[in-house]
Amino acid sequence: MPEIDQERYELMYHEVGRLTRALHNAIRDFHLDIGLPGDTTVEHELSEMADARSRLNYVITMTEDAANMTMDKVDEAAPVIQGLVNQSAELLPDWQAYIASRPSDPAEQALYARVSALLDNVGTQGGGIHERLTDILMAQGYQDLSGQVIKRVINLVSDVEKSLVRLVKLAGSVEQAAGIAPVAAVKVTDDGQSEQQRIRAEGPQTGVRQKQDVVSGQDDVDDLLSSLGF
Amino acid sequence: MKILIVDDFSTMRRIIKNLLRDLGFTNTAEADDGNSALPMLENGEFEFLITDWNMPGMTGIDLLKAVRASDKLRTLPVLMVTAEAKRDQIIAAAQAGVNGYVVKPFTAAALQEKIEKIFERVEANR
Repeated sequence: MPEIDQERYELMYHEVGRLTRALHNAIRDFHLDIGLPGDTTVEHELSEMADARSRLNYVITMTEDAANMTMDKVDEAAPVIQGLVNQSAELLPDWQAYIASRPSDPAEQALYARVSALLDNVGTQGGGIHERLTDILMAQGYQDLSGQVIKRVINLVSDVEKSLVRLVKLAGSVEQAAGIAPVAAVKVTDDGQSEQQRIRAEGPQTGVRQKQDVVSGQDDVDDLLSSLGF
Repeated sequence: MKILIVDDFSTMRRIIKNLLRDLGFTNTAEADDGNSALPMLENGEFEFLITDWNMPGMTGIDLLKAVRASDKLRTLPVLMVTAEAKRDQIIAAAQAGVNGYVVKPFTAAALQEKIEKIFERVEANR
């Protein structure tokens, strides 16, 4: 019986070891710098997951900027249209009194009627435009709603990251206890990166300040190109 | 009338502020969670509070409870404007003494209606 138990334990350790390696490989593919048991860099935050959080925060900032720019335009347009509505409302009675005082020449009256219709239109259509501006304002609420969802995903990513690091530490201890050779620590350095990794498309930069290998604007791009002889 | 708008998203604070301005309420102030709102309420002469629920720090429901527990603020009308739409949550807010509850996304008309209703009740109880 003890032999069977021993065999079962070894099988389990081997299985955990196999899963650990699979996990290490998966994390390595994420460029997650987790290190190995005893390695002080285990808690190191410079991971793809941290980058994921930074990208999600970038989405929140971008949508906030876009919503604010839209609302700036609404704030600019609303008083303009309101001013036109007020002006036409003020002018209309004076204009009607003027028409009444004029001789009833058919050609002139037709022209007066057109101007009256225009003043009328400014009043009614202007009100409609103001309503639409309010609708545009309300639609910017998407930034709050989508932002709340994104913040939840950011928290989820953080939790998953912490759990993964704990799991890998734990599995590493099991590997050592079972005498299974651990896989080599995975650390991706600049020098060790393949050409493919270095030039991989990343989309807009989200954490430019922390990244020294990132240009800070078009001037930097131009300088870089010029230094290369372009 | 002095109104405090509490939401962690500045976009939403701005939307509510603009809507209030259209309704003729121009005296507004803003806070981004309950912790910053509470001292403002205690020290300022606010007559109306509009608050979100889901905020870091102190949430809207905790702010509401703190307001109702305060001698100075207990009668302050509170409107909750939030994406939290679970029945239990709305019941909890009602039990905590909320005066109105608007679920996001909302329309300008919905906000106006709730505000007017709250003021009608406040006037009736005076």
